[in-house]
Amino acid sequence: MASENNEARSEEMRRKIALVTGITGQDGSYLTEFLLEKGYEVHGLIRRSSNFNTQRINHIYIDPHNADKALMKLHYADLSDASSLRRWIDVIKPDEVYNLAAQSHVAVSFEIPDYTADVVATGALRLLEAVRSHTVDSGRTVKYYQAGSSEMFGATPPPQAETTPFHPRSPYAASKSLRIGTPLTTARPTSPRRGENFVTRKITRALGRIKVGLQRKLFLGNLQASRDWGFAGDYVEAMWMMLQQDKADDYVVATEESHTVEEFLEVSFGYLGLNWKDHVEIDKRYFRPSEVDNLKGDASKAKEVLGWKPKVGFEKLVKMMVDEDLALAKREKVLVDAGYMDAQQQP
Amino acid sequence: MASENNGSRSSNVQTPRKVALVTGITGQDGSYLTELLLSKGYEVHGLIRRSSNFNTQRINHIYIDPHNANKALMKLHYADLSDASSLRRWLDVIKPDEVYNLAAQSHVAVSFEIPDYTADVVATGALRLLEAVRSHTADSGRAVRYYQAGSSEMFGATPPPQSETTPFHPRSPYAASKVAAHWYTVNYREAYGLFACNGILFNHESPRRGENFVTRKITRALGRIKVGLQRKLFLGNLQASRDWGFAGDYVEAMWLMLQQEKADDYVVATEESHTVEEFLEVSFGYLGLDWKEHVEIDERYFRPAEVDNLKGDASKAKEVLGWKPKVGFEKLVKMMVDEDLEIAKREKLLVDAGHMDAQQQP
Repeated sequence: MASENNEARSEEMRRKIALVTGITGQDGSYLTEFLLEKGYEVHGLIRRSSNFNTQRINHIYIDPHNADKALMKLHYADLSDASSLRRWIDVIKPDEVYNLAAQSHVAVSFEIPDYTADVVATGALRLLEAVRSHTVDSGRTVKYYQAGSSEMFGATPPPQAETTPFHPRSPYAASKSLRIGTPLTTARPTSPRRGENFVTRKITRALGRIKVGLQRKLFLGNLQASRDWGFAGDYVEAMWMMLQQDKADDYVVATEESHTVEEFLEVSFGYLGLNWKDHVEIDKRYFRPSEVDNLKGDASKAKEVLGWKPKVGFEKLVKMMVDEDLALAKREKVLVDAGYMDAQQQP
Repeated sequence: MASENNGSRSSNVQTPRKVALVTGITGQDGSYLTELLLSKGYEVHGLIRRSSNFNTQRINHIYIDPHNANKALMKLHYADLSDASSLRRWLDVIKPDEVYNLAAQSHVAVSFEIPDYTADVVATGALRLLEAVRSHTADSGRAVRYYQAGSSEMFGATPPPQSETTPFHPRSPYAASKVAAHWYTVNYREAYGLFACNGILFNHESPRRGENFVTRKITRALGRIKVGLQRKLFLGNLQASRDWGFAGDYVEAMWLMLQQEKADDYVVATEESHTVEEFLEVSFGYLGLDWKEHVEIDERYFRPAEVDNLKGDASKAKEVLGWKPKVGFEKLVKMMVDEDLEIAKREKLLVDAGHMDAQQQP
């Protein structure tokens, strides 16, 4: 009896294992920090490149030769490659799988629609199928999280809840819409780690450089597009919470506040004492072939069922991003002034 | 008559700039090739994968934002070798005179882990690109010359020296995929008269080499060991023997192949072979260190199937193209060590100032 109790106790204490695709992205890095802090062992699937692509998780990475206790491990795979997915699930034996990987830029999806669909739509299917066949073969239980997107709502007017009909307006959004009834979020998280091609980060990055004199102009598209922007660090907690429920379900994750790109400019430039109108020019190349005018989420279900709520509001988020990008620009200025770098280069 | 003579002497017709399309432009070879082509007056277009991470480090010094200069002669476009329509799309828009297919999942050891992906990009990807070129030329009536990046890995287990007529014996999914791509290229040349060449390049290195490749892995670690940021370096088979040249020399051979009257296949190599152990001797010795004190063998780095010995016979390239390597083994090693020592010193500066953890790489 004592030994059974011991076994039960050690089973409880066994570290949970998570598998994260898209671990090199914004959400992947915040989710990894969150899961490690909760005592998970985190495995990530990354694409292979001859370029360094783990910048966002490098501060977490420990070389396997340095510490057997390294709790984050990376493996090569690709969402377009079904066998790589099955291989790693069999080896890693995760308790939870978070599918965050994607070709995640809406504008780019108009240029490479086939690739986007193959990774975002069919890739999700491949991963689901790999999980399914693994669980059937092994008898194990695996919980699966699918990263949805508010872009799926597209042209449907706000506020948008779980039951709001989809009306995707890009190959990216259409691919995200091809989901198969697994827990997912629809969210628009941003942060200082956001990719620099996404408008919020594009703005704060340019603003920092403008402030220190490395740049004068910023070219944008549709300033009237309206979005519900939240902090990625808050949103990954919602992802995790979804997988801790008794029942699998779908949830909208949002701040329930909507702002235009122009408002983002007002707040961010204003915070540094600048007038955005002096620096912003409109360039038609940044207009979408079909636009999503207005996204504003209704997150009441997440609030009631998960007990989730956002901690970082719009203004605080903008300031967080501006602060970090100003620091980054100052560092660039030091290198430029010392002759190590050209003004237009980004390190 | 005078006006006619004047007209011909002061002709306004300029030779139009040649246009090149380069896949794999973000890689080592892509960056050196781009510099070479720009120096020859080309307009260079590159296809890059989309990532939320910055992936154009090697060509950033060349990149000019389109808003800054209408004269930007290097332009980047999103595509993927797994996506046929993206390839055809850019060919139609860019209308290149020359296409250099350098893109690949290029790491041999990794190809054992992701063989399907490797084959899809390296083998089928080459086919997609050839087909896109073929149909573009058929539709437009334009002439396009095509360069396929082959690899000495295709020779694999066949003993050296290896020339264009040596039989292939690939020893990895990477190598087998390169063999397929090689034959697709030959087939398109023979079936459609496409000016398509295979460059069978033996290993070529540089300070821009990816850090997972053994030469750069060594020099990068050596620099950090020298400044005290690291103590050990873990390697696999030290007896593997390779013909290592300088990538900057090799891209010139690629270009030369496309300037010939006839399309053909060429081996490019230094014709000298060295073991990984010799690379360690020269590199560590250059900084006054004994590699035996810092290197440990880790079995995880051994290949499931090894290629023991590669040594190229580049006589055809020398005779027909007039190409020869300028940077020899020792000079190559020193070049790489010098740059990686600089990088390590810069890291040390940041570590000492508290900006960075010792094990981080900026």
